[in-house]
Amino acid sequence: MQAWLEEVGRRFEVAFITGDRWKLYIKGLGVTLEIAFFAAILGLIIGTIIALMKLSTKRNGKKTIWARIANVYIDVIRGTPSVLQLLIMWFIIMSSCKNGMLVAVLSFGINSGAYVAEIVRAGILAVDKGQSEAGRSLGLSKSQTMIYIIIPQAVKNVLPPIGNEFIVLLKETAIVGYVSMTDLTRTANQISSRTFEAFMPLIGAAVIYFVIIKILTVLLDKLERRLRKSDNR
Amino acid sequence: MIIVKDLHKKFEDNNHVLRGVNYHVHQGEKIVIVGPSGSGKSTFLRCLNLLETPTSGEIWFDGQLITDPKINIDKIREHMGMVFQNFNLFNNLSIMDNITLAPVKLKLMGKEEAKENALKLLSRVGLTDKADAFPSQLSGGQKQRIAIVRSLAMNPRVMLFDEPTSALDPEMVGEVLDVMKELADSGMTMVVVTHEMGFAREVGTKVLFMDEGIIMEENTPAEFFGSPKCERLQDFLSKVL
Repeated sequence: MQAWLEEVGRRFEVAFITGDRWKLYIKGLGVTLEIAFFAAILGLIIGTIIALMKLSTKRNGKKTIWARIANVYIDVIRGTPSVLQLLIMWFIIMSSCKNGMLVAVLSFGINSGAYVAEIVRAGILAVDKGQSEAGRSLGLSKSQTMIYIIIPQAVKNVLPPIGNEFIVLLKETAIVGYVSMTDLTRTANQISSRTFEAFMPLIGAAVIYFVIIKILTVLLDKLERRLRKSDNR
Repeated sequence: MIIVKDLHKKFEDNNHVLRGVNYHVHQGEKIVIVGPSGSGKSTFLRCLNLLETPTSGEIWFDGQLITDPKINIDKIREHMGMVFQNFNLFNNLSIMDNITLAPVKLKLMGKEEAKENALKLLSRVGLTDKADAFPSQLSGGQKQRIAIVRSLAMNPRVMLFDEPTSALDPEMVGEVLDVMKELADSGMTMVVVTHEMGFAREVGTKVLFMDEGIIMEENTPAEFFGSPKCERLQDFLSKVL
């Protein structure tokens, strides 16, 4: 028993303590969070724009050219693996750019935007049609009705699935090692190959992801509850 | 004031709801439209402010052809209030904001002026104490009175009512009809789709009977209910009265 404990302690030391390796995990986590944070913001912006494009209709109810473009965008992004999108961005589209962070944020933001677009669209469609009819009947324009009436109500609808999308995005960033970014996953991988010791670094990284996402979940729950409260329902 | 010429509406599923409606609403008239469900009366009303786009035909409002695709319909709608069956108060806004949103955002009034005006209108329907409440805290009758006030805050030239009491509990119908009667007495031009025959008889200057997508009969309330001419109307009245 004691021998086993000593062995675990030694492995732990090699994985986290020796040569201040714990600092590497923190640095890696920083990279992961930075990519996820900016990609989430970019995804939210792109997603909202694409959703509004997809919802636009002509006066006769037919799809606009914008709606068609949005459809193609969503189809292409959802129809290809995000690893490939990242590699294409790194080696082809932005091959002259050596800033891995920028490429990663762009690639993940564009990817997330397609999923966010469908979430936002569903959230907007879930707002009762009478709300926009009432707005329009008062003389408000389409966009005024959207901004003052529909979107504030849609935000409440989309919060749970958006939270889910953020979580997926955070974990998806684990593939940035492909474009030579040293995030949390790659850090763990490097340390395990350097120390010939896979267990501690990999499980350690998994625990860190888990804790971060748990914190994110709790925060989102709180936000959701607060929004529901102001609902007076 | 509103002239409708040969109005047709065909929905995408080829449901031909309006089959050539002609009518002329004059200033100050209170037109009440009755008819069985599916007769096209709501669709007709919703065409008047282009919430439904007519398939063909013309609608003129104050000398402007509003079915012209080039016209700015938002500007026209500022002058046409509409009250819906399901109230459609803005759920995310307080009662005060519900009423002042459109006048303020459309720059017809300053914020303070709009608030003052809203309070005046609220006292007219006896709901001043609800200014800071949210729609979800009100009863159906209160919601509908607020919805009327919200439309009135735009100083419309005409008010359209789309079955305003149909979604209400019976004991709340009266309070909404009272507000509508008062509005009628104040000289507002009104077009009302309703199943309230008592209201039609009492308030209407003209009563229309719609069925199968056309106006089948049009008359003063006394004649309309006293001696209906077409058979469909006689049949309809025998069922609802």
